[in-house]
Amino acid sequence: MIETNVIKDKAAQANGLWNRVGDQTNPSRWNGEKWRSFVDHLNSRGVIVHEALPDVSVFVSDAGGLALGMPHGIVRPFSADEIAEVLKAAQIYAVPVTTRGGGLTTEGESVAFGGLLLDMSSMNRVLAVDPVNLTVRTEAGIYWHQLAETLRQDGLDYLSAPLNLTSSVGGTLGVGGIDINSPRLGCSADQCLALKVVTPTGEIIECSTTENSALMERVLLGYGQFGVIVEATLKIRLFTPIIMKYFYYSSLRTAMEDLKYIAHEDAADYSGILTIMDRAINLLVAFDSDEREKEFNLRWRRHLRGYGEASFGLRMAGYYLLHPWKFREAAYLIGRRLTLFPEFWKPEYMHKGKIVDRTVVFSRAVWKFWGGRKMVIPDLAASEEKFIEAVERGNQVCRKYFRHYTLYCVGIKLFNSRERYEMSCIPPDAGDIAFGCEFEPMLRDTDYSRDYLQSFKNEIYDIGVDMGLSYYRFGGMMKGYIRKAFGDDLVDKHLALKQQADPAMILNRDVIF
Amino acid sequence: MSFTRKARARAMQGGGTYEEIAPAIDSCLLCGACETACPEGIELAELNIHQRQELNRQRTTYPRWYPADSNGMIDSGRRPDEQTLLLAGGLLGSKQALCLSLLEQLGTAGKTALARDDGQDIAKIMEAGLPLSPERVERFVSSLRSARTLIVAEGLLHRPLRAWLPGTKILGPGEALLSDASLRLLLRPEDLYIIEGRGYHTDHRRLAGFYHRLRHETGCYTNLDLQRTAFSTGAASLQGRNNIAAAGCIENAKRILKGKKAGRVVVEDLADSEAFRLATDLPVIHIAQLRRGKLSYED
Repeated sequence: MIETNVIKDKAAQANGLWNRVGDQTNPSRWNGEKWRSFVDHLNSRGVIVHEALPDVSVFVSDAGGLALGMPHGIVRPFSADEIAEVLKAAQIYAVPVTTRGGGLTTEGESVAFGGLLLDMSSMNRVLAVDPVNLTVRTEAGIYWHQLAETLRQDGLDYLSAPLNLTSSVGGTLGVGGIDINSPRLGCSADQCLALKVVTPTGEIIECSTTENSALMERVLLGYGQFGVIVEATLKIRLFTPIIMKYFYYSSLRTAMEDLKYIAHEDAADYSGILTIMDRAINLLVAFDSDEREKEFNLRWRRHLRGYGEASFGLRMAGYYLLHPWKFREAAYLIGRRLTLFPEFWKPEYMHKGKIVDRTVVFSRAVWKFWGGRKMVIPDLAASEEKFIEAVERGNQVCRKYFRHYTLYCVGIKLFNSRERYEMSCIPPDAGDIAFGCEFEPMLRDTDYSRDYLQSFKNEIYDIGVDMGLSYYRFGGMMKGYIRKAFGDDLVDKHLALKQQADPAMILNRDVIF
Repeated sequence: MSFTRKARARAMQGGGTYEEIAPAIDSCLLCGACETACPEGIELAELNIHQRQELNRQRTTYPRWYPADSNGMIDSGRRPDEQTLLLAGGLLGSKQALCLSLLEQLGTAGKTALARDDGQDIAKIMEAGLPLSPERVERFVSSLRSARTLIVAEGLLHRPLRAWLPGTKILGPGEALLSDASLRLLLRPEDLYIIEGRGYHTDHRRLAGFYHRLRHETGCYTNLDLQRTAFSTGAASLQGRNNIAAAGCIENAKRILKGKKAGRVVVEDLADSEAFRLATDLPVIHIAQLRRGKLSYED
């Protein structure tokens, strides 16, 4: 007998929002009712549940480091059948199930506050590479980096994936996945051609744009609400080293206008903004081929208002000579230049002036310079029209809370108005392209209180509510924003879909519902 | 039990004890790749040994692959006065012809000699996380002080030797031999060149550049992954020496071979030869055999 709706949907209720600045939205721990029966049931079907402290404590937090919770037990599945057994039993005993790949969430979405955790990293095999049709079939627990490692053996590469070595394919497809080539190629989820999914009630279903397409559209960018992605077929491409160029700006607005211009004109294969500080903004562009670079130089380069490194350095030197009391700022800038930039030019990753392994170079740099024990990365996703205002307002919030922070802005090409974009990180009013901006304070070893960090996030997210934007990280601890951002009608529609697909509301509880 | 380095750290943070995560600690082959892969530069290799030391303090029975405590059993012999010494280690040291061939290729005007004390016992004790006798270390180090360059086959000794003998150049046999351009010419694009991981990872920044140039100069395959960490078979580990199959070394060799259209395997560490012989029918030679390809493994 399956009990329906045994979990009350706090966030999904109209009054279920936490409106006070600084409030946490951590879910409470599941009380463990019927856990033993659940485990016995799984054991009788040959599914091993690990319950020892060293096993479960591995998953005590996620990359964000702010959400802390332990599962009652974990399962490392090796097949869709095993996952199906878990979910069927979870429906019967109403045990929450949290799926986790690389645990690269920052709002506790992959942290289990009791219940069972499915450690999908055990399903990490590449099943088939088709170099003719340029596709790969892979298990979803594989990290993108592992996938790149395998594809490289055949001179191939994935299209786009988050700049991190330990984000998994399944987790990424579930939320979108943004790369610096997303202005051309869209989010990672849009590379997906087909999926094998285990539904919350334990059915194993193959889906694609032509077969069970409704499920496919729900699962992609579905934040793990409508099924566990077990396998995925993805588009791939021939591997190419990339040619990188940097432009420097002292105006954030000008840099953003140029970023929009590049995306609009399809002038580069890769583009994005990384700020060092308000006065030093880096617009990076990169190319897959000499021809593309040549075309960029001929057609679009002259329209960009950024400086080369030498001339920007001279301008900054002049500025600080006239403003000697800002020597600390200058020292920070120089220090950042000296430590960060060599990471992008390490000789072992270069060949003939091109970056050979961008996935490694960027991922290592991102983790080294922006990673830490705690990571707070609120974001805003906006239409082209609202992008600049959103970022400028977010930047003001950053300045209010932190001395040093980084903004990372990138475009995301959209493909038609697909169902999958509904109630996702893609803003509802975006046209052909959306823009995202992450606001990441440099926390390093400073111990900010959780309330302080939460207040910062809330102020960023309030901009989104005010302007009608969306967010990449609206789940987990930030789910209180879901109704504010998307409105009751849309949330109720998805809640009804969720209740239909997951009667006991067990799968990835508290991420959205 | 999750066996990754991060999982071990998290398990301990979560209140696990060393004994509870003993299988994970004992399964580590101490290749050092985790340290190189860590973007934050945490000295994970030493932390891995530290975990083993802490585990040893708590347990009374050791895995069967643990070494007998031989602190103080080695006769360091005379103090050599050669400027370059080869510390051949157990396996290479037992292959007389191969050792002589290596010496011959390394030697410049007879200034390279085989160290009588190669510190192999020290490496084993360190690897097992057992207490090391300071007297034994002192005798070992004393026997090497006159040398300017040490060519050390046991990668695990590279880091401590750099600490014990600052100013002395510490190289692996691969780097030492391949510094000779005429030898590099003998490497072919169809060769799979297996870098000894333990030594490589202790001097990664410099050696990543060295092997990067080697790859582009010769076109050979290597066991480096996209992060430029060396995927090791683990055959040189205590576990691998005890049971090469059970330690997963053959599987690791197969994984290294996967996707590579190699025609020959060239290893820096003789321990890897065995893993590859069991994993493939391809010819497997030691780097010292490159110039004299007719030398057999038994030499």
